[in-house]
Amino acid sequence: MKKLIYLSLALVCTVGFAQNPDEEDKKDWGRLTGGFESIVQWYNDDTSLGKFAEEEHVRSNNYLKLDYNYGNWFAGMQIESYAPMPLLNYSPKLDDSGVALYYAMYRSKKLEVTVGHFYEQYGSGLILRAWENRPLGINNAFRGARVKFDPSNSVSLSAMYGRQRDGFDVSNGDIYGFNSEFDLSKLLKLESSTVSAGFSYVGRKEDIPEEFQNGEFDELTNSFSARLDYSGESFYSGIEYIVKDKDIIVNSQRFIENFVENGSALLLNFGYFKQGLGIDATFRRLENMNFFSEREAAGNVFNENIVNYLPGLTKQHDYLLTNIYVYQAQAAITVPDPSLLKYGEIGGQIDVFYNFEKGTPIGGKYGTKVAVNAAYWAGLKGDFNFTDRDANIDYFGFGQKYFSEFSLEVRKKWSRKWQSIFYYVNQYYNQRFITDQRGVVNSNIGVVESTYRINSKQSVRAELQHLWTQDDNGSWAGATLEFNVTPRLSFYVNDIYNYGNDVEDEQIHFYNAGGSYARGATRFAINYGRQRGGLICVGGVCRFVPQSTGLTVNITTAF
Amino acid sequence: MKSIMSFVAVFLLFTIQATAQKEIPNVEVKNLDGTSLNMNQITQEKGVKILSFWATWCVPCINELDAINEVYEDWQDETNVELIAIATDDSRTKKRIKPLINGKGWEYKILLDDNQDLQRALNITTIPHVIVIKDGEIVFRHTGYFPGAENQLYDVVKKNSK
Repeated sequence: MKKLIYLSLALVCTVGFAQNPDEEDKKDWGRLTGGFESIVQWYNDDTSLGKFAEEEHVRSNNYLKLDYNYGNWFAGMQIESYAPMPLLNYSPKLDDSGVALYYAMYRSKKLEVTVGHFYEQYGSGLILRAWENRPLGINNAFRGARVKFDPSNSVSLSAMYGRQRDGFDVSNGDIYGFNSEFDLSKLLKLESSTVSAGFSYVGRKEDIPEEFQNGEFDELTNSFSARLDYSGESFYSGIEYIVKDKDIIVNSQRFIENFVENGSALLLNFGYFKQGLGIDATFRRLENMNFFSEREAAGNVFNENIVNYLPGLTKQHDYLLTNIYVYQAQAAITVPDPSLLKYGEIGGQIDVFYNFEKGTPIGGKYGTKVAVNAAYWAGLKGDFNFTDRDANIDYFGFGQKYFSEFSLEVRKKWSRKWQSIFYYVNQYYNQRFITDQRGVVNSNIGVVESTYRINSKQSVRAELQHLWTQDDNGSWAGATLEFNVTPRLSFYVNDIYNYGNDVEDEQIHFYNAGGSYARGATRFAINYGRQRGGLICVGGVCRFVPQSTGLTVNITTAF
Repeated sequence: MKSIMSFVAVFLLFTIQATAQKEIPNVEVKNLDGTSLNMNQITQEKGVKILSFWATWCVPCINELDAINEVYEDWQDETNVELIAIATDDSRTKKRIKPLINGKGWEYKILLDDNQDLQRALNITTIPHVIVIKDGEIVFRHTGYFPGAENQLYDVVKKNSK
């Protein structure tokens, strides 16, 4: 019943506020804009994967977002409906329909005040980030109040209080935040470069269960961040340092008695660029930096109640077989057994982009573009005592290797009609330490992609992929064929095949076929096929999905 | 099932009732050097502009911007159009933007929308997404990129720059 009321409310709004061109001149009623997204999946039984064992074969996630603006005033809401159930492996807390987010905001040149839900990010997000990512099922917006104030062009301040969205409710922890950003360029009389600094505070207050109230840690956990960034004509660099107060260690949603630790993070970044060349290097060290608005949410599989953003700093790939073994940041202290002690991670990555110009031997007629990435991540080095829960950590030491990767991408246009991408990846993936499975996976992946333009509107794209490994499930082969009928209408088929699996029954084809049509801000896509089980990752954050077979229909639009 | 139907009903009513979003919300974005900028500083300028939402990890986005880059000089000579590439990379991949655009030799103006505030305000769910504005008003939007879409985009630019 409740949802019907909300929906009628939405209808009244539409009728009431929708712009009517005839009336536009007479009176300004403000503007109503919004977006709608619906994903419907129909899961069916599959001879290879087995019967679909869950409830509800047809499920859908639906999002309707409405924003209204009149002068300096803004208001809006997001209605979500997961009916009859959320898609596979979304949080069961979402099994409902109704208003998920709402806000009212006043904004002038110097002042902005928001009441209700809001998204936020301080610095790079290492200390605080509230964001939405629907494919990952993440929406950790704060519900509360926020004031932003810019006293001058070079200073901005912001303060907030809120509780994080958790399903259709909010979490139990109170979050207090303060952020400041200073542009120091004018002060330092810089003309062709900029220097900026930032300071943030984030506090999380949550009741402690009685049996753990021994004074070793507080209800309120404080964290502080300081940042300095320089950006010049051909060089840039940045540093960010974070400290987090001591807090109890939580593993598998359980408090570990008498195990209380501080946390810290250090992020360093350097870059150099000129026409045709760019280099970037990043170093990061995380120690006990996972931060949740509810202590017991630590390590939850649905990415709920996360206060800060700790992406895996590796190259984000865009091909099916390059996304099987994805590194995720290992920021937490976890001590499941004496052979698996983790206190954090240390490592970095380097990117180089180079353009061989037109007319040079390698550049050819159209130029050749090359991108190289190398990443290395390890556990912190130290002496860990499992029984005493004690660690002696060497600050810049590299411990157990978790992950390394080297990738090379070459983009080449052969003629007006032909162009290709060559992609090679070498990976080392320590499954024991990253996903708590057995063993290490050493793999090589190769991808060749070519596009042929038939005429000014039509084109064909083909992709061949292969993953070579002796480890885990063995080798994979894959292919994609895409036919673009017009720039709006496209069809594709793809298949990845785990032919190297030792278990013959698991040598499965994960095939998919579908099409999409886009016009204006509307896109309609339909897909039938088999989904590989595993991690779905966006921006270094991952969600586990089980394998399934079925039909997916996706509609998105903006108005 | 019932609520799906209600959603579809609401959705249909919206597409019939509401005319398309005409304005770019005045959201704060960042320049490449980290300084802030409000979108109305861009929409207040006269002329035709292309806003292209992309990310360093999005292959079709880069294909589109590479394809336009090859003809961008001609486009600018003929129509004076400006392309503003708005990167939606978050802190995981944001540091790759500067080296990437230099490595590629792109001449576009680049803006950062690193917590996707502008993307969300425009209800963009998938990238690449291009928006053409004329004197600050939206005249065209398109999601996705397939080879040849740049020609269609240029037709829109030419039509609006007369």
